[in-house]
Amino acid sequence: MPEVGPLRNPYRPGLLRIETLRDETPDVRTLGLCFVDEQEGRRLGGWEPGQFGEYTVFGAGECVFAIANAAPDDDGGEPPRVECTFRAVGKVTTALRGLGAGSVIGFRGPYGNAFPLAEWRGHDLAFLGGGIGMAALRAALCAVLRHRSDYGEVLVLNGARSVADLVYQEEMPAWAGLDGVRVVRAVDPGGETADWDGEVGLIPEVFERLGLAPDGRIVVACGPPVMLHFLFEALGKLGYSPGQVITTLENKMKCGFGQCGRCNVGSFYVCRDGPVVSWERMQALPADF
Amino acid sequence: MEQRGWRLSAEDVRTWVDRLIAEGREVIAPVEGRGPRVFRPLGCAAEACLDPGKTRWSPKEFLFPRTETLYHYRLRADGPELHDPPLAERERVLFGVRPCDAAGLVRLDEVFLDGPVQDPLYARRRELTTVVALACQEAGPECFCTAVGGSPMGTEGVDVLVLPFGADWLVRAVTDKGRALAAESWTRAHAGQWSLAADQVRRVEQRIARAPVAGDVAAVLERRFEDPVWQETARRCVSCSICAYVCPSCSCFDVHHEGDAWGGREIRCWDACTFPLFTRHASGHNPRGGSAARYRQRALHKFAYLLPDAERTTRCVGCGRCIALCPAGIDIHDTVTRTAAGAEGEGADA
Repeated sequence: MPEVGPLRNPYRPGLLRIETLRDETPDVRTLGLCFVDEQEGRRLGGWEPGQFGEYTVFGAGECVFAIANAAPDDDGGEPPRVECTFRAVGKVTTALRGLGAGSVIGFRGPYGNAFPLAEWRGHDLAFLGGGIGMAALRAALCAVLRHRSDYGEVLVLNGARSVADLVYQEEMPAWAGLDGVRVVRAVDPGGETADWDGEVGLIPEVFERLGLAPDGRIVVACGPPVMLHFLFEALGKLGYSPGQVITTLENKMKCGFGQCGRCNVGSFYVCRDGPVVSWERMQALPADF
Repeated sequence: MEQRGWRLSAEDVRTWVDRLIAEGREVIAPVEGRGPRVFRPLGCAAEACLDPGKTRWSPKEFLFPRTETLYHYRLRADGPELHDPPLAERERVLFGVRPCDAAGLVRLDEVFLDGPVQDPLYARRRELTTVVALACQEAGPECFCTAVGGSPMGTEGVDVLVLPFGADWLVRAVTDKGRALAAESWTRAHAGQWSLAADQVRRVEQRIARAPVAGDVAAVLERRFEDPVWQETARRCVSCSICAYVCPSCSCFDVHHEGDAWGGREIRCWDACTFPLFTRHASGHNPRGGSAARYRQRALHKFAYLLPDAERTTRCVGCGRCIALCPAGIDIHDTVTRTAAGAEGEGADA
């Protein structure tokens, strides 16, 4: 048994004030959050793209989302601003949606592993987001776009059920305007409007139609399990190897650091060993997700 | 380890317990009241029950309470104000713990202390707790500690070991923490007495009739992830989760918020992988939506997943409570050994 010194309460959240709210779709919202106590914010330091946080709505409970923005490169003395994109689905997220600017929520984290951005340097990248899955990719995309010259061509394929369900519509034109960045928007068949000028089709088939050769390209995909299932099938057909495909796993979580016991897939704890995982690693896990 | 130890009469043991209480410690021991035998804080030594048999529940709740507050909050005009819960302050003795239950505490340590995050509430309680284990005077039909590397006089997680010796007791300090509970005035025991007492416990050990769980069970079970045995076993499972609640090594928990317009608290309470809601996403998707997947998770978490090192082949300590108390008669020892044996047969067929 290790010696026990004074330990920090790992469940006690820091306090964040909601500064900005942006409705992405009828049920998806992005919050911009600032630390109430700037000292606390500085102590947090930063986070790596792919990591997640636990957000507390006092009185309702905690919920888990990816941190949707990239931390500042150098702290510059400024406390970081945390962004998250969430869909109102259950009790806590519905309560969170009920909060306005100025409300205070709790935040603890960052938890989990991160996208291996250093390994991606010099490679062409394809970010494939299905629905709110795009939120898990946004931090990595922001970090890549900030250091645009370190990477090859960047494709962003942002798909959703319908035009109204596409997240980050405001930001996509800015991404598309950067040199060497291509943004493709896609909606499921039947989800298009009369004036829709993007692609129509499911993400796996839209990606196939783009005809991007696998040579050295890293595919970073996040979306519902059914999308990933068919996407992996399509990528296999296109000649992509499991090592060049990265995704994130999601499971119900409570503690965030491998103790509460519910997010495991075999010996792999999504909160601690994930959420970022390569398709290759996923193939070695038991089929329990 | 203290080799010679002491020989105490039943009266000496009562005096010892009363002294531990008088010195300000909380002594928690098996107590038999109107209901089943359970661990409870003693008012005096006479309340303790050191008869053969085990308690209905393991003593894990005294280190990992069924429900506890993680922090309190009050909602003020300028935002919430948070307060940590108080840490335990009083020294505690878990007295009369069976060796299987003491080994279970080591499994809890692995979860709450050995990872990257140490739980401060658990850590403090653990630091203040001394475990006095009582070797078994008999083995129940559900017992299988010897099948998973334990023993009715095992010392894993034990600070003081007590062996029955006729109407008397032999007492040995296993750790320095345990030695601190001993008295100067105690009568020394002889080596011969220890060997007689150990022979007695070995006779109990021989009555544990269950086959050992093979050392490679983890690999075998992981290979048999899709085995029909999980469906067959879980067909009887009613997902009541009594197995997890009575288990000395089950440590999974839920984190909840309880609050009103003025304030509230964040709490942690026992939870179980055999409950359908344990893993259900807000979207409705459930990675372990069927009872077979859940029972398999339980069996594999005990015998395959996340074992701390190669020495340790199981998280299960073989107390058998889950077998004795399952309303559907599910027997984890039987399921696991049968599945592992089936794997051998499979090899022979091929």
